[in-house]
Amino acid sequence: MATDSRPDTFDSVDWDRVEADTGGVPVVAVVEALTFLAFGAALAYDYLIVPEGEPTVLDWDVTAVEWLFVAVLLLGLFHVVVPLARSRRMTAYYWRQFRKNRLAVASLGYLGVLLVIGVLGPAIWAAPNETISYAEAYAPPIFIGGDLASLDHALGTDAQGRHLWHLIVYGIRVSFEVGLIAMTLAITIGTIVGAVAAYFGGYVDEVLMRYVDIQQTFPVFILLLLLIYLYGASLFLIILLYGVFGWEGTARLVRSEALQRTEEAYSRAAEAAGASKLWVVRRHIIPNVSSTVITAATLSIPVFILGEAALSFLGFGDPGTFSWGRTINAGRSDIDSAWWISTIPGLFLFLTVLAFNFVGDALRDAIDPRSDSG
Amino acid sequence: MRWYVARRLAWALVATWLAVTLTFGVLLAAPNPGADAAAAQCASQDRDPEQCRQQYLESRGLDRPAHVQYIDYMTDLAALDFGYSESQEEPVTAAIADAWIYSAQYFVPSIIISVLIGYSIGLYSALNRYTLTDYLGSFVAYFGISIPNFWFAIVLILVVGVYFREASLLGVSLDALSLRTYYETSYGVFTVENAKQLIMPVIVLATASVASQMRYSRAQALEYANADFVKTARAKGASTWRVLVAHVLRVALVPLSTILIVDILAVLFAGSFIIEAIFQIPGLGRLQLEAITQKDTDLVAAVTLIPVFLAIVGNLIQDLAYVLLDPRIDYGDR
Repeated sequence: MATDSRPDTFDSVDWDRVEADTGGVPVVAVVEALTFLAFGAALAYDYLIVPEGEPTVLDWDVTAVEWLFVAVLLLGLFHVVVPLARSRRMTAYYWRQFRKNRLAVASLGYLGVLLVIGVLGPAIWAAPNETISYAEAYAPPIFIGGDLASLDHALGTDAQGRHLWHLIVYGIRVSFEVGLIAMTLAITIGTIVGAVAAYFGGYVDEVLMRYVDIQQTFPVFILLLLLIYLYGASLFLIILLYGVFGWEGTARLVRSEALQRTEEAYSRAAEAAGASKLWVVRRHIIPNVSSTVITAATLSIPVFILGEAALSFLGFGDPGTFSWGRTINAGRSDIDSAWWISTIPGLFLFLTVLAFNFVGDALRDAIDPRSDSG
Repeated sequence: MRWYVARRLAWALVATWLAVTLTFGVLLAAPNPGADAAAAQCASQDRDPEQCRQQYLESRGLDRPAHVQYIDYMTDLAALDFGYSESQEEPVTAAIADAWIYSAQYFVPSIIISVLIGYSIGLYSALNRYTLTDYLGSFVAYFGISIPNFWFAIVLILVVGVYFREASLLGVSLDALSLRTYYETSYGVFTVENAKQLIMPVIVLATASVASQMRYSRAQALEYANADFVKTARAKGASTWRVLVAHVLRVALVPLSTILIVDILAVLFAGSFIIEAIFQIPGLGRLQLEAITQKDTDLVAAVTLIPVFLAIVGNLIQDLAYVLLDPRIDYGDR
């Protein structure tokens, strides 16, 4: 690396990095590599050794979507939580900025609780189909009262006597899987395409951006309907399609941001020092557009969640999952006698999307000093 | 500039061709759901499912080589022949011609409302930041982009269609305020009954796009809120509305118009499926849903392509409008 040949002075050295340095490779990178190696081994074990249809561990048969979800959570741990914990000063600064927006702090708390419930909840509360009991069908929530209301199903039951709270808990899992996995896919593709288009320019830029134009004219929702029609609905397919066809906004945003960055002195200096194009994109352009990327990432999650819920509502969701959209649709025919079946999961969906929007906007204000959306 | 317009037109053609080819390719590569359904039906009648599948494919010319099918498909499309819809039992073009009027009835009012209300609140709140109106505006914006429109529609039905029918306020029955929950096709287009039953669909569809128009217009207007020409206009004593309409809107309109078409189309298309499913309006969205559930491939392909064509034309108009509206834009190198 050419830039390292400068003589180091005390204040130009990044001491955090030196402390973490164990012979060239940072500890965190080693731990991350080992974790993902273990993850790959577990994945191989599930798909190569465990027979089809048998549970992977105990009685939990890990699905493809759940594997992806675990990978995304691990990525989040290593690329969001660990960096924040390692650079305390910047974290404290961002937190002071973020804290100014009280609604956003409350939203973050709400989302944190939902994430924990979504990840651990299915281990605590039984799957909704195991709570089917026709004797208890249409029980109202406890705060309404009535003969059937009971603490056992505090939020009421649906047409088959399934506990609404269990349906909601399993719905949280689905919504977070859709939102986080699709976001990770879309943001990764969008950032790479945008940064490469901006930095390489010329024909590369032209071809990539023309492709983005085409993708933008194909409304994702319509494309999803077409593909679900042809291949049948599965949560995996829906998430994959949202991720693979939902990145054009990010790519545009990153491109316009990166175009400014490529002109700045540090990119020029790196080039002059002999850094390869790929190195400049990876080490200088992408880190410097990260504030745009983080905001775009947070604000894209609610779009994906709403999209999946809308698909499920229309009956094109995965029939094997308990998406909120499906529960809302199922309660639609009983709207005048049992209003809670549709409205309570809908309220959760609404609050979740609202919370992501609040957090995204507050993040933009906190980490991007230039933005003035206020 | 002529060169730019010519290139832009050529690009629209290329994009159309690519979109059609992609759709064709996807349809060709995927298993045909209609053929599967035919095979399943035969199997249930103790006939050979494979033979039925072959029959189905042969009767529609789907067993021919791919390039023959492709040329056929493209020439048919060029002649605006989208094939025959089995679920509607009429040519696809006729089915679409019957359906579009029902979609337009709530589409057009929603667009007009969302632009008028969205822009006026957005511009006004940009010039009056940190006032009650501004906070109210941003509350409406968050509400609009966050509320799932299908859930909003259900809650509206619950309140307006179910609750109002029996409730009374200060002894006055609210029944007069209750609206039809399901669409009745027998009313004429320009009748009071028809307008009344369209209120709920329009409100649901407009909420989301009002919010996004408001956000964009506010962000745009904020850029000019402290510009010299705005200060001059104010110093000369122009009223807030005059400053907004004559000065701010004029410059903000150019970037806003570029967002408008594509964004509105995206919001409205996804919304139209849900609204037509909930309120049972026999428009394009419902046509598409029926086509999908009844495995009517020709109709699915056609109704998929319509939004794409509209988006391409919308993009084209928008880019040309951009060049005409803003003389500063350099269109030499693209």
